[in-house]
Amino acid sequence: MAAVPVEEAIAALSTFSLEDEQPEIQGPAVLVSTERGATSSPVEYSDVSAYRLSLSEDTKALNQLNTLIQEGKEMSSVLYTYRSCVKALPQLPESMKHSQADLYLETYQVLDLEMSRLREIQRWQASASSKLAADMQRFSRPERRINGPTITHLWSMLKLLDVLVQLDHLKNAKASIPNDFSWYKRTFTQVSVQWPDTDSMREELDDLQIFLSTRWAILLNLHVEMFRVNNVEDILQVLIVFAVESLELDFALLFPERHMLLRVLPVLVVMATSSDKDSESLYKRVKINRLINIFKRHYLIVNHMGTIRAEHDDFAIRFAASVNQLLLLKSTDGADIEWCKEIKGNMYDMVVEGFQLLSRWTARVWEQCAWKFSRPCKDAGPSESQELLSSYSDYEKVVRYNYSQEERKALVELVSYIKSVGSMMQRCDTLVADALWETIHAEVQDFVQNTLATMLRTTFRKKKDLSRILSDMRTLSADWMANTSKPESEFQSLQHGGDESRGNFFYPRPVAPTAAQVHCLQFLIYEVVSGGNLRKPGGLFGNSGSEIPVNDLKQLETFFYKLSFFLHILDYSATIATLTDLGFLWFREFYLESSRVIQFPIECSLPWMLVEHVLESPSAGLLESVLMPFDIYNDSAQHALVVLKQRFLYDEIEAEVDHCFDIFVSKLCEVIFTYYKSWSASELLDPSFLFALDNGEKYSIQPMRFSSLLKMTRVKLLGRTIDLRSLIAERMNKVFRENLEFLFDRFESQDLCAIVELEKLLDILKHSHELLSKDLSIDSFSLMLNEMQENISLVSFSSRLASQIWSEMQNDFLPNFILCNTTQRFIRSLKVPLVPVQKPSIPQAKPNFYCGTQELNSAHQSFARLHSGFFGIPHMISVVKLLGPRSLPWLIRALLDHISNKIATLEPMISGLQETLPKSIGLLPFDGGVTGCMRLVKEQLSWGTKSELKAEVLRGIKEIGSVLYWMGILDIVLRELDTTHFMQTAPWLGLIPGADGQTLHSQNGGDSPVVNLFKSATTAIVSNPRCPNPTSFYTMSKQAEAADLLYKANLNTGSVLEYALAFTSAALDKYCSKWSAAPKTGFIDITTSKDFYRIYSGLQIGYLEQSVQLQPNNHDVLGDSVAWGGCTMIYLLGQQLHFELFDFSYQILNVAEVEAVSITQTHKNHHFVQGWDTLLEAMKKARRLNNHVFSMLKARCPLEDKTACAIKQSGAPLHRIKFENTVSAFETLPQKGT
Amino acid sequence: MARAGGITNAVNVGIAVQADWENREFISHISLNVRRLFEFLVQFEATTKSKLASLNEKLDTLERRLELLEVQVGTASANPSLFST
Repeated sequence: MAAVPVEEAIAALSTFSLEDEQPEIQGPAVLVSTERGATSSPVEYSDVSAYRLSLSEDTKALNQLNTLIQEGKEMSSVLYTYRSCVKALPQLPESMKHSQADLYLETYQVLDLEMSRLREIQRWQASASSKLAADMQRFSRPERRINGPTITHLWSMLKLLDVLVQLDHLKNAKASIPNDFSWYKRTFTQVSVQWPDTDSMREELDDLQIFLSTRWAILLNLHVEMFRVNNVEDILQVLIVFAVESLELDFALLFPERHMLLRVLPVLVVMATSSDKDSESLYKRVKINRLINIFKRHYLIVNHMGTIRAEHDDFAIRFAASVNQLLLLKSTDGADIEWCKEIKGNMYDMVVEGFQLLSRWTARVWEQCAWKFSRPCKDAGPSESQELLSSYSDYEKVVRYNYSQEERKALVELVSYIKSVGSMMQRCDTLVADALWETIHAEVQDFVQNTLATMLRTTFRKKKDLSRILSDMRTLSADWMANTSKPESEFQSLQHGGDESRGNFFYPRPVAPTAAQVHCLQFLIYEVVSGGNLRKPGGLFGNSGSEIPVNDLKQLETFFYKLSFFLHILDYSATIATLTDLGFLWFREFYLESSRVIQFPIECSLPWMLVEHVLESPSAGLLESVLMPFDIYNDSAQHALVVLKQRFLYDEIEAEVDHCFDIFVSKLCEVIFTYYKSWSASELLDPSFLFALDNGEKYSIQPMRFSSLLKMTRVKLLGRTIDLRSLIAERMNKVFRENLEFLFDRFESQDLCAIVELEKLLDILKHSHELLSKDLSIDSFSLMLNEMQENISLVSFSSRLASQIWSEMQNDFLPNFILCNTTQRFIRSLKVPLVPVQKPSIPQAKPNFYCGTQELNSAHQSFARLHSGFFGIPHMISVVKLLGPRSLPWLIRALLDHISNKIATLEPMISGLQETLPKSIGLLPFDGGVTGCMRLVKEQLSWGTKSELKAEVLRGIKEIGSVLYWMGILDIVLRELDTTHFMQTAPWLGLIPGADGQTLHSQNGGDSPVVNLFKSATTAIVSNPRCPNPTSFYTMSKQAEAADLLYKANLNTGSVLEYALAFTSAALDKYCSKWSAAPKTGFIDITTSKDFYRIYSGLQIGYLEQSVQLQPNNHDVLGDSVAWGGCTMIYLLGQQLHFELFDFSYQILNVAEVEAVSITQTHKNHHFVQGWDTLLEAMKKARRLNNHVFSMLKARCPLEDKTACAIKQSGAPLHRIKFENTVSAFETLPQKGT
Repeated sequence: MARAGGITNAVNVGIAVQADWENREFISHISLNVRRLFEFLVQFEATTKSKLASLNEKLDTLERRLELLEVQVGTASANPSLFST
């Protein structure tokens, strides 16, 4: 045969690599079926006549019934999808009443079309009933003249009966049909006035009206037809027995057949028991308890879930194992024939088992669905009142509120089991096909060549009639030549090796029997066991009165049932499609009509309810099943198009799917984002905090697996392919940007102290980005951060955050925060600010924009709250981390400019104060004591009119001090970072500590370790002749040298504080002449000096006095930064010694000391100076603080050489540059505002 | 027990059935291979689609990066004076 090249060609295709790493987490979608041939004969059993079994009458009747079944199904589609036309009729407005006649005519024409369909149904059911009845009568005559009915014929009778029953039910259920009909009749009366001769039409109308308004009209009619000639009881009994046995023995492989039997059985029983005599004879054959038992079932899936789970797991493993075995077999040449047969037989068994499982599961879904429909929910939860329940539509009662959480979970699980087993079996369709054919062929041949041969030799030897039937069976299906298709020698050896008692050996042939062959075989077996007698008591294979021994009967029975399985297995993919079709879960025509709505919202839709349940359920295990319910939509769309053939239904499904999928994607993204956010937040939570906590597990999150969902690039939905992964990535990119935007907005509506919180939240976001990036490719975090910071320009060094920090400092921090020198913190002054700070209200967002879940939010918030009341080192660390080397110099420059601006604005005010100083102020005399001194000071410093000016100057000095102290903190933080950096790079650069604290280079003039390492690696690799691309290694080695240079250059970074001091000093130089006049005499000017130190001295004593008077310990008016500002200026102007000698408060302290000594000597009275106690204490404190500042300044900014660090445009500081004392020396800094 | 019919010409039918088995072997063989071919095409399309999807993903990322770089270059070339030294 010419088949070999084809096979080779096909086998060659498998050399293509077709792996695409798509996880199997969706249903099979809609299958394109290439075969619907085996179950219903594709040639309408025309080949049956070739077997010459005189079945032509039976075949004719059978085909007639099958045509009727097909027509009837279309009729029921029409009835099922019928929607009221009258509801859509327009109301005629008053102004158009004159054209009422036209409206009637139009209405009539529209309705006439619909009504003609109903008329057709009426006519059809009448003819179908009479044909079915005639058929039954023909085959139930006691004296039979024709062969039949065959088993296939019995099925067709049952199926047609089922169609009629369904049609009758639909007709009863549709209230809109009589409604439309009465409108139709009204318009007919109106329209037909002008028509001549309407009597026949009117008659027809009345007829139709009776048909439509009579309940059970079709079944009543059928009953009448059947009992017109009273001899159908026999066939009815046969049908009942057949149905009961099939149900009891699970003979029907597919659940639709089983359901069909369940539907028609009651009707058959009612018909067969129309008289007492008949019922007596029926119940003699079939006990009523058997009937009752058939209908007893547990319908809720939850109760079966344990078994189903076990079945699924067990089956999935064993099925995969046999597929693997089959693959192994295919790749083995010259495999042992017995082994072959075993593996293929095993595969066959697995397929049958799979079909049985699928059938049972899908039937469970159907049955639960029907059970729920018949039991609407009674209570809608404790919180909801009875009125609310009554406001629900019927559909909501039976679906939306009728499934508990567990039931939804069970349904999702079962649906995904059905779909995944279905697609698993579907995938290996062409792989198993020939194995199945071969096994079926072998089964048939084994029966007809071996079993039948044995029977013919033994039991049936004497029974001519029966043995003839048996040999007929052999004739019509035996494949004698299959054992000769192989070379004789091989066959011989096989024969010898085989077991002799096994009978004939036949070589396997991968061809299945045709539908006609199976049909005939079933017929003949039935003939053997029933003897062609419909009145045979007992069941089909019951042994009562039969001449056939039990053993043979059993063998015949087994083969008989196998035959009916064969057809479904041959229709492999069609069977799978039927068994996994869950489209019915969507359909709700009946409820649409009773609820008088056009369509229900998606919340009522069962598939969507399942999707939503998966997304919202706390059990993460369901997550991978989330796409399974969408396959229900595929099924229902297929059903709407192929079975119901209604475009509008498909459109409705499509609209719902579009809507659902959008919501699904956005909800899924929400879930994913929240999950990754909480995961990162819980990872970043302080471990020691968690350890100390009793309920720490509250902050740990349940792991969820999104990885397979995130891999889905092909989601099959209504024939479209959707790239879920890219949709998610798109949304994630967006949501990360939104989150960043929100965090910045939030920071902008709070004060500078919130920077720690901002950094923490940004860290969490960044970490969650890192975690998500492992599964999904999204934009890099730094890119998004720069974008949201408005920081992508190459020529701008400010960023959204830097400008915000600067404006915060300028408007809120510097004026309103006061320094506490001891704690190194700034805190908000209790004083009401002069200029109230305007801020947008704090924006609110969902918890997942903070840390994910509420618990984690509150945990992180309690950390953030620790830092929300002050500004200190932790805040500075955050500032440095967030701004980075790019924007930090910009901020420093802005702050330094602020200092020089402040000094410039102070200058005229200080001049004002200088003017009002008296011409000369001498040293304070000791004889007046403290009291005298204070009086003297007050007299001389008569700035009373200038109190506003005084306060203004103090505030200015305070701001300068704050900036300088802020720089000091910044310096500490930068030092810390530098040290870390140094420790990391030192070993690579070859730096080692020397004896005197100096850093030494480990190599003298040679390369540093990092350069050496790369160089030697490069030489080693390049010397290898197999090295493909040496240039890249040379590049790497060059890059190491560059890195070495860069890191070495950055080693000794300067101090920001020293730089700031140098800058301030330079800024002050301009005012040196005014604030630091050189004495004309050359001696120290004591009395007439109007130098800065004197002004500050006056301000300080006034300030001290004032703060003591206002309230004890009310030190927080200006804080410690006044001292920082004042002392720095004094120091930089070179007036430190002057100040220490001539400061008023220092002098008073000296006086007080002397006074105290003299008083203790004379009066021993400690309370003499009591009135000044607190003031003196404050003065002492101020002196201590001033001394601290001066000593710090001496250390950091020795006046002898004005060196400092500079910061280059690149942000890299230069160490210890010698500066001239002009502001222009600092022009190297990036300009503010660019 | 009168049974009508029965195979009238058993030998001829047997020969025809045998021929039928052989013909159908050929048909089954061809149809199965056509189905395998079809299945291959379906799978080929599916894998190609996913490969295209992953390519598309990479292009998307590159495109966004390029966009950013373009903006950066744009800011730089708008201020040539800053880069003249």
